[in-house]
Amino acid sequence: MVEAMLETLRYGGSTIARLILLGVLLGACGGAYARMPEPAAPASATAPAPAPAAGLPEPAPYDGFAMADESAPAPASGAGPVFAQLAKGHPSVPAPAKPHAPGSAAPAPATLPGAATEPPPAATAQPPRREALLVYTATLVLAVYQVDVSLSRIEDLARTVGGYLASRTDTSIVVRVPRARFQEALGEVVKLGDVLHRDIEAQDVSDQVVDLEARLRNARAVRDRLAQLLQGASATKDALEIEKELARVMGEIEVMEGKLQLLLDKVAYSTVTVQFQPLRTSDVHAMARLPFPWLEDLGLARLLQVK
Amino acid sequence: MMNLGQTRHALAVRAFLLALGLSGCGRPFAVTTPPSMIELEQQTDYAYRAMTPDGVVLGVRVADSGKTDAAFWSQAVTLHMKELSGYAFLATADVATADGVPGKELRFGHDESNRPYQYVVRLFVLGQRLFVVEAGGTKEEMDRARPAVDRAMGSIRLR
Repeated sequence: MVEAMLETLRYGGSTIARLILLGVLLGACGGAYARMPEPAAPASATAPAPAPAAGLPEPAPYDGFAMADESAPAPASGAGPVFAQLAKGHPSVPAPAKPHAPGSAAPAPATLPGAATEPPPAATAQPPRREALLVYTATLVLAVYQVDVSLSRIEDLARTVGGYLASRTDTSIVVRVPRARFQEALGEVVKLGDVLHRDIEAQDVSDQVVDLEARLRNARAVRDRLAQLLQGASATKDALEIEKELARVMGEIEVMEGKLQLLLDKVAYSTVTVQFQPLRTSDVHAMARLPFPWLEDLGLARLLQVK
Repeated sequence: MMNLGQTRHALAVRAFLLALGLSGCGRPFAVTTPPSMIELEQQTDYAYRAMTPDGVVLGVRVADSGKTDAAFWSQAVTLHMKELSGYAFLATADVATADGVPGKELRFGHDESNRPYQYVVRLFVLGQRLFVVEAGGTKEEMDRARPAVDRAMGSIRLR
């Protein structure tokens, strides 16, 4: 069905009919067409899209508004070095405008969805296996002596492993560290005090990334086709309609690019949240205590209470 | 042969020395209060207590050792301070009194009203007696008074 529509788009029909079909196709971007097997899916693979028409700008890099509701914002200076490597050869992801300070110790994940530029060998019909794209997050509650010192140590640690500070309050800190050094960073953090609570989560976002990539490919194909139509449009009314549709498609592409960039950044940089709280005093007398009153009197409260 | 005058003189000297010894209020230890600290009198909970002008306090208590050694009490105090009193354990070290009795030093940290405090405990066992030597104050003041505290702690002799 979808392929038939594409055929109509490519080889026949009036401009208005093509527009309607394009709208239908675009509406189904996240639908069945988007989930077609990859080697056959992109229209641009079979019919190379022409360059955008003169005067039609390429979609600008996404400014991040779709990330506003995300809890882990991207770094102010752009995505990190791992992301840069992630984005390398990744046609659907715009390169970060201003990469992080290069850190040689932040290797990129082994494989990436969409990173392969060569088509799979014809003999092996199965799609290549991809490494799962996991977003690691850790939340630790630590009891430490001198919270401010520990906060600074974690901030320094994040920088040492090639990460960065995401946020910091008087009693908590959020840092992002390269995925490859996530465990190492955690190991260093727990040395700072007594771990009262530890919560580590790995969220698989492979499906989301694959889905977004497919939708992006389709949207870009539609954009290119619209640009082609715009070039050939003779009537002003048709040209206006096409331009309107083109603007909408480009907006959608930008949103999807932003989402994809955010997802890949989350994969590349694990989030470590550390909350500090004073060392607890035991409320439950679970431990049998030595029956020596002077032990109970130990501590600063009694020592400093001079008379 | 001593004459009567010499005997009286010898007795007076002995009485003076005895009085001097008793001036330690029967403490089973001796400690030298450094010039930057003042010894506090009539301390009921402590056999000895002294402090600096800015609030660093040094105290010595004597308890029943329970016929066990300093290592046992070191573990007991560490557990107590960490698990029950909420102190952060910072370090431990082997120490000795001025007369060579071995012991353990434990260092703890504690935040109170967003101010870091330090608390140091030295434990010595001699016979049936356990000597608990404590020092504490804000971290800033403890750092400043460290030489005096170390000198006082290091001057302790157990009898």
